Amino acid sequence: MPMLRGFLVLVLFFILGESVRLLLALPVSGGVLGMVVITFTLMLKGNVSDDLARASQGLISVLVLLIMPGVVGVFFTANQFSGQWLAVAAALLVGTFLSVLTTLLLMKAVTKRGVSDGE
Amino acid sequence: MVSELLARFQALPESLAATPILAIGLTLGAFFAGNWLFSRIGRPIWLPPVVLSACLLSGFIALAVDYQDYQQGARWLTVLLGPATVALGIPLYQQMHHIRAMWRPIVVTLPIAATMAAVYAVVIGWALGATPEVLASLAPKSVTAPIAIGITEQLGGSVPLMMGGLLITGVVATLFVDLLARLLPVKDERILGFALGLNGHAIGTARAFEISHTAGAFASLGMGLTGVFTALILPLFFRL
Repeated sequence: MPMLRGFLVLVLFFILGESVRLLLALPVSGGVLGMVVITFTLMLKGNVSDDLARASQGLISVLVLLIMPGVVGVFFTANQFSGQWLAVAAALLVGTFLSVLTTLLLMKAVTKRGVSDGE
Repeated sequence: MVSELLARFQALPESLAATPILAIGLTLGAFFAGNWLFSRIGRPIWLPPVVLSACLLSGFIALAVDYQDYQQGARWLTVLLGPATVALGIPLYQQMHHIRAMWRPIVVTLPIAATMAAVYAVVIGWALGATPEVLASLAPKSVTAPIAIGITEQLGGSVPLMMGGLLITGVVATLFVDLLARLLPVKDERILGFALGLNGHAIGTARAFEISHTAGAFASLGMGLTGVFTALILPLFFRL
């Protein structure tokens, strides 16, 4: 029961996010809007109820299960993208290498400056 | 009598496929079988359990049911992705005290690094002749799956292609963070965790929790912030 109560809160925030998306014709998914709203609500409230924490933990722990139907599609729709595999592979491998490098260098540079400022 | 039973037996997969329960059963079965296999082969970083589960599941589908029927039934699972995305806000809220402790590096790094993660992929893909649909599927490659599905649908990309790219990104981001941490060198666990979550979403975050709890907390934070930031920014970019 307590977990279902938390689930109800999540569903309500999702419906809220989805409604906002449809009303304002936003290009952002309802789930993300609901997530932003629930994060700010919790920050204002200052604590999170046990029911909600437990429900969110439960859903997050089965996320892999929920994304599996999307993942298997790659095996069944692959030939749709034949001829573009080089572009896809290069974008993923080189792109990820560059973005990891960017993140580490930026974080390193900014953290060091913060320290030398005497923080 | 026997032939009647046989005929009913032959019609069995079709009758069961008419309800969502077969799709749900197959997905659950593949999920647990994949996790079991993952622990049996020693939990390798480069082969996350979701890849194993997905391979098993596609085998089951190819053997037992029609792919379209499967996706129809699996709607009962994928509809939960909405509330699950909202649920990501709770750990994000619980990580907020880390932002206060390290707000300056985070505020500077996050917008630039999260934007570049998408820009590098799109520019490289575009230069090598990828179609707009493929580019839209590559752009959210560093974003956690439930949010990335929403982004790809909004951009008009292919969800299956995006999911494949997402998994590869998570795995190679983990390997590159390990490699570059040694080369640069970077030893601060907070930075490594943040880079893992920002670039490698849930797969990177799982790796960060192996380093330390602090690294894991910063990875969750990096993953959450990247997801929100990318989801809000990318659709606006693509409209232009």
